[in-house]
Amino acid sequence: MLPMMLALVILLPLMAALGCYFLRVSTIRTMIVLGTGVCIAATSLALFGQGSFTYSPGTILGISWDSLVTLADFALLFVILYYAFKLKNQLIKVFAVLQIIPLAVFELFFVDHAAEVPAFYADSLSLIMVAIISIIGSLICFFAIPYMKTHEEHLHLVKSRQPRFFFYLVLFLGAMNGLVLSNNILWLYFFFEVTTFCSFMLIAHDDTEIAVKNATRALWMNSLGGVAFVFGMIWAYSVTGSLSIQAILEAGPMDGAMLVPLGLLCLAGFTKAAQIPFQSWLLGAMVAPTPVSALLHSSTMVKAGVYIVLRLAPAYAGTFLSEGIALCGAFTFLACAAIAVSQSNGKKILAYSTISNLGLIICCAGINTTWAITAAIILIIFHAASKALLFLCVGTIEHGIGSRDIEDMRGLYLKMPRTAIITIVGILTMVLPPFGVLLGKWMAIESASGDLFVIVMLSLGSAISLVFWARWAGMLLTGPLREKVPAESQNILTRFTLTVLAAATVVVSLFSPVIYTGLIEPMVGKTYEITGGVFSSPIGVFAVYPIFIILAAAFIYAWIDTKKSGNIQNGASYMCGANVKEPGVQSFIGPMNVPVEIKASNYYLEAFFGEEKLTMWVNFVGLALIVLMLGGAL
Amino acid sequence: METLILMILGIVVAPVLGGLVSGIDRRVTARLQSRFGPPILQPFYDVAKLFGKVKVINNFWQVFCAWVYLIAAALSVGLLFAQSDLLLIFFVQAIGAVFLVMGGLASPSPFSQIGAQRELIQVLTYEPLIILVFASIFMVTGSFRIDEILNYDQPLLAKLPLMFIVLGYALTIKLRKSPFDFSTSHHAHQEIVKGVLTDYSGPYLGIIEIAHWYETIFILGICALFWHTSLVGVVVLLATTYFAEILIDNTMARMTWRWMLKYVWSVGLAMSFVNLIWLHAG
Repeated sequence: MLPMMLALVILLPLMAALGCYFLRVSTIRTMIVLGTGVCIAATSLALFGQGSFTYSPGTILGISWDSLVTLADFALLFVILYYAFKLKNQLIKVFAVLQIIPLAVFELFFVDHAAEVPAFYADSLSLIMVAIISIIGSLICFFAIPYMKTHEEHLHLVKSRQPRFFFYLVLFLGAMNGLVLSNNILWLYFFFEVTTFCSFMLIAHDDTEIAVKNATRALWMNSLGGVAFVFGMIWAYSVTGSLSIQAILEAGPMDGAMLVPLGLLCLAGFTKAAQIPFQSWLLGAMVAPTPVSALLHSSTMVKAGVYIVLRLAPAYAGTFLSEGIALCGAFTFLACAAIAVSQSNGKKILAYSTISNLGLIICCAGINTTWAITAAIILIIFHAASKALLFLCVGTIEHGIGSRDIEDMRGLYLKMPRTAIITIVGILTMVLPPFGVLLGKWMAIESASGDLFVIVMLSLGSAISLVFWARWAGMLLTGPLREKVPAESQNILTRFTLTVLAAATVVVSLFSPVIYTGLIEPMVGKTYEITGGVFSSPIGVFAVYPIFIILAAAFIYAWIDTKKSGNIQNGASYMCGANVKEPGVQSFIGPMNVPVEIKASNYYLEAFFGEEKLTMWVNFVGLALIVLMLGGAL
Repeated sequence: METLILMILGIVVAPVLGGLVSGIDRRVTARLQSRFGPPILQPFYDVAKLFGKVKVINNFWQVFCAWVYLIAAALSVGLLFAQSDLLLIFFVQAIGAVFLVMGGLASPSPFSQIGAQRELIQVLTYEPLIILVFASIFMVTGSFRIDEILNYDQPLLAKLPLMFIVLGYALTIKLRKSPFDFSTSHHAHQEIVKGVLTDYSGPYLGIIEIAHWYETIFILGICALFWHTSLVGVVVLLATTYFAEILIDNTMARMTWRWMLKYVWSVGLAMSFVNLIWLHAG
């Protein structure tokens, strides 16, 4: 049963991708994507029934899978090299060569190919990741079906490029599932490279000048991560003599010799997770169609980086490297939240907030207590759901109003009530209790409280993120609401994905105590006592069920009273003058009896948090922290 | 069961206390300005009158936001009385803050919009300070749980004198006292209309007023933790602190939000660092 399930989550997306590419009929493609999505989502849930496992696939047609992976790996690196020449980019050339040659030397002269290394290993962390990738990733693919249709109508394409798009999109899911299930570090590296390449192709999809430029940047930065990975992997092998990640972890916390390779592997994770100073590739990735941004930012790609850092956490527990990682993560959390305040481009706000939250997760990995690791896993789960939802909302809004600027979303409730409310749900689940992201943040802050620098950065960052979320949620409602707003029409698949994701963010948050006892506790050990849906430990309490129930009652009561307010006398909003009476006009009678239209916009605090102002310094500090982290390991 | 009783007790008693504090505040302020001042119970009369007014709104989401603001504020005080987790209580309180801002933004009035933006900057200024105060309490007592903190045998003020001043800044901002009353002010001479509350009126303004009483009690409750070992200590500490607030309110003019952000963050962070380093050294 297990081999079948593994094949379903890893190989089925590959098959489906090929199907999307070669069967160029839109109906067939839709069926393939829907079928694959449902299949892998169901399989990912069934995998929970397996519990932890180790598995090696053996051979196919007399060739071992190990050699197939190696072969595919080299093929992929040469494809990347080909693109480096095509794009005439020196950096990518250098980085590709720096991966090909050491890898060849490593494979030919160092690796003991006779040694038995289990290819796959899964514990709760891997299984949770598989579920996130397969469920949220599939929902994003569903959303992409109507989205890409509209997208291409906007672009007036003669020949549809959707086959290519869905090829990479679906392939991506398989690669990510492979990545989180791999135990053999060479396999992990292969899947790591596949995600790099897929993201490059997806970012470049629209083939505009800016798309190609940003895709190139994504490719060279992730290739740099690839180089760090290769060297870290070879170094680690020379110390431990094993390719198995579990064997490396079982040796317990490492000392001197092993810290540098671990540092390099974490650096690879940092580039993937777009941590400062590598954030620019992820920011550039928003030129791609929205499903790509959603996929890159929420459930896949960036989570791969976080996954690697978190996976290796037991190996560097209690070392200076760990402290360095915590500092890097906390700094990214603070700096990216700060820059997000100064942004008005909705997608960019989401991108910065993503990087910021990944920083928080990495910081938790660095703090490296059982509480912090629990926090990290909780954050991974709930951030993926809320952020995917928000990206898809921005995509829907962009198709609806033709802009992704939040200033243009003022009063969106009047035009797209459904999408506006779902967006607000997404935003509230990002910042407020009792939802999962905040539960994770609470755990993170409580576990960081012994560390002066980290706690200062976390407290500042958490306050700053509240600013850009709260104002975004509020401005969607702006407007004189006299009577009921006409309902909004949405494509059925769009409505389905948005509703399912919105419901999931809320409902899964409600089940966070169950998720904790069922999945996280067996893996990281007991950290919290759960009684009646209340997380409690000697240092803190978080009452999930009680607060959920009280707030749900509060929301229902508030909503009933709001509904009743329909026949209340409607006031005109105060504009410091006599309002112009025409409906739908927001003006007052100004001097000389001329109507003056009112206009309000957000404070972006650019003097403090401006992107141009901060980016250079932030990158400088980020780089210094990474040097500190790696240098301290030496 | 005991927790539940404490919680309900808190939710019932807090608005009464909060209203009284507000009445005393107005009376003392009047005396400082050589006026006679209203009766102590005036805030209750005011709110009762507001509830008797005709309901007028310009965006029905204001109704929703006002209610959520009130319930979140009440819940946070309830959790405080039930001796729950400090950070959790604070985050629950933040629900109210977010919905107050959303309510302000729901009205298209530019005055309400600016008020909401400024309210956000106030939140931005005090929130990290309060989290740091909680972290410092954790460093001394080893817990964020109020029941555990109350078991600690010395007044926290002895170990965390500077953190108490930091909390004082947060208190001033949260109570919207000058010089930090940007989002809405009770000093008419320096206010642009009524800030974030511009388009609230009648019963909905009353709801917000009650929520504000809850918030006053919430933050005074946190102050009380600094001298939890003696009842007299608590009373003396709170009376002194609140009187200091009134003095500051009456002697300062409203400054700009830029000044607030720079000044409060730099002073607050510097004091926190110094105090926390004392802790590590001590």
